[in-house]
Amino acid sequence: MTKRKFKPRKLFNIAVTYLIILAVCFVFLFPILWLVLASFSKTGSIYSFKGFFPTEYSFDSFKKLFTDTEMYNYPRWFGNTLFIALMSSLLGTTLTILTAYCMSRFRFKTRKAMMKTTLVLGMFPSFMTMTAVYILMTQFNLINQQWGLILIYSAGAPMGYLTQKGFFDTISVSIDEAARMDGASNFKIFWRITLPLAAPMIVYTLLSSFVWPWSDFILPKLLLKNKDLYTVAVGLMSLDNTEFSRFAAGSVFIAVPIVVFYFGLSKFLISGLSAGAVKQ
Amino acid sequence: MEKEKNKRSFFTSVKEKTVLFFKDKKKKIVNFFKTLPARTKAKFAGAKEILTQGNGKVCASMCVMGLGQLMYKQWAKGILYLLVQAAFLAYFVLKGAGDFIGFFTLGVKEGNAWYGEQGDNSVIMLLMGILSVIAIIFYAVIYIANVKDAYRIQCAADTLKPTPSFKKELTSLLNKNFHKTALALPIVGVCVFSILPIIFMIAIAFTNYGGEVVPPALIDWVGFENFGKILTLGQFAPTFFKIFGWNILWAVLSTFINYFAGLGLALLLSKKCVKGKTFWRLFPILAYAVPGFITLIAFKFMFSYGGPINQIITGAGGTAVGFLDIDAKWTARLIGLSVNAWLNIPSGMLLATGILSNVNSDLYEAARVDGASSWKQFVRITLPYVLFATMPVLISQFIANFNNFGIFYFLRGGLYMDGYFLASDTDLLINWLYNMSIDNNYYSIGAAISIIIFIVTSIISLAVYVMSPSYKQEETYQ
Repeated sequence: MTKRKFKPRKLFNIAVTYLIILAVCFVFLFPILWLVLASFSKTGSIYSFKGFFPTEYSFDSFKKLFTDTEMYNYPRWFGNTLFIALMSSLLGTTLTILTAYCMSRFRFKTRKAMMKTTLVLGMFPSFMTMTAVYILMTQFNLINQQWGLILIYSAGAPMGYLTQKGFFDTISVSIDEAARMDGASNFKIFWRITLPLAAPMIVYTLLSSFVWPWSDFILPKLLLKNKDLYTVAVGLMSLDNTEFSRFAAGSVFIAVPIVVFYFGLSKFLISGLSAGAVKQ
Repeated sequence: MEKEKNKRSFFTSVKEKTVLFFKDKKKKIVNFFKTLPARTKAKFAGAKEILTQGNGKVCASMCVMGLGQLMYKQWAKGILYLLVQAAFLAYFVLKGAGDFIGFFTLGVKEGNAWYGEQGDNSVIMLLMGILSVIAIIFYAVIYIANVKDAYRIQCAADTLKPTPSFKKELTSLLNKNFHKTALALPIVGVCVFSILPIIFMIAIAFTNYGGEVVPPALIDWVGFENFGKILTLGQFAPTFFKIFGWNILWAVLSTFINYFAGLGLALLLSKKCVKGKTFWRLFPILAYAVPGFITLIAFKFMFSYGGPINQIITGAGGTAVGFLDIDAKWTARLIGLSVNAWLNIPSGMLLATGILSNVNSDLYEAARVDGASSWKQFVRITLPYVLFATMPVLISQFIANFNNFGIFYFLRGGLYMDGYFLASDTDLLINWLYNMSIDNNYYSIGAAISIIIFIVTSIISLAVYVMSPSYKQEETYQ
């Protein structure tokens, strides 16, 4: 079997591999390329396309996006989204990391019970609770308030602590013990030793808890009724059907920062995603 | 022949594992009840000790939180406990007690807009009732801590040991009890924004809230009526079973496709002959990075009559196809599956890439020496390892797919069809739930559906987990 490595066979193998890779990459690129091209189309309606390509190109829809703000105030939406996503990412990451660290390093009475509870809670359909959250928010007077959204996003974040816990489990305890010998308190160990070691995981957590509010549409749609408070997702969905190129331009504009982040941090992504897979 | 045998042995092993699991559970359950009296006794031994051995000052703490601590001259702590007591009493008298009773009555006085009468709002009463129960539990925890603390001080005083100063106890919150400090905020957050709403919706499933019965009308407890309605009533039952069947099929198919396509892509890109791996990997990452709702809306436009796919078809002389039209049952479903694959393969690929880099390469070397074909290497080495490592992720992906709201909400949202009650033939249970409770006010039925979803997903994921290699052989790869 091993001796059957004729050259043509190997060449054929390589050719097929590359063909498949090219096809796959084309499939992944096609819709995005189409969207990017559409954002540069002049007329704005998808009916004026010649097959895949728009008939005429211009920067008009990008200009319109930022200047024609009477009906659709895109810069405002963008600012709102940025504020909400940044705040929830910071708060959510803090809570998640704290939870994961405690679950990984401390053995207390209610630990097992808490882990099981979060597992069970995770099985409930996520927006089964939407009505309840809505009523709760009206009671707290947080409808039409950006802080309401931030509160929900960051309070929900610690539920997904398992990935981070898996990561902390891989950091050896012996470092902690050495520090404890030297008289460091648990807080100091966490702050000075564990956190710096967990930098990749923190980056991953920051990123993933930033992306969720950045592209979520259900919660903001439910809780923000005022057009000036819209996030980009809700705003883009409220666009009229004839505004296709404006939709495309707006989408391209909010997708770009995320794409840049992901490209730059793809190493963290891989390690973050697989940290959650390693057995707890 | 051998395949047949393998198959049979697979099934028998699954059966054995299930039987074993339940035997194990049975033993555990029996054991649980057998040791129950002894364990309760042990648990209350501490309480008994406090009750019989505690002196007057401990009793004072039992009557008024913090009093015992004050008598022992622990001023700061005593005052803190006193403040908690006062705050809780104020809450309970002013609001909590009423809320707690309201949980059971759900309001007695119906409001009347004509006469401008303010009635009871049952929904808010229900929610506040649950909140008051949570508040009472929190209070009880603090109360018990207070009595224990008083007793501890007594023990220390009796044995003439110095009692720890307040300052020392505060610093212990950063050291020995760091987890208490760190977990306080997350726990409160999860209680208020996850547990409270879930309990609320579970409670709603047993009321008649929704339809005509919305505030100011009063809501009542109805027991299991809603579940009965879903499973038997002509209005809901046919829709439920149709959607349920499709939902299971969808979840299985899409999880399977996404998982193996992601794994395949990762393997393809990790082949030795592929140059520029980082470059090729950028394309799936690009697809992963663009926010989901954008790609979903873009796909909707792409498959529309004016979209590029139909333009290419008409350009080639064909007639435009209504991919997502009202009668396009299976094309719409297939498009849903492929769009979902497009969205989820990238993360599967990244995950598999991470896992594959951990496989012990000696195994492959040995297999190659023994003359195993690459297919055999895949089936015998790669697949078992990856399955083992990703089983928890696989289960959570199954649940996510089962509850995949976005796909059909964006591709075919808002379609109501004949033969379906407020749903279309591509809708999943979660879409139906949305249509019912957010768009059409069938709150109690919606809540009952979500409980059913919960039961189904947890049974399936438990079963899969029990049969998985990760369950019984935890140490295989360690």
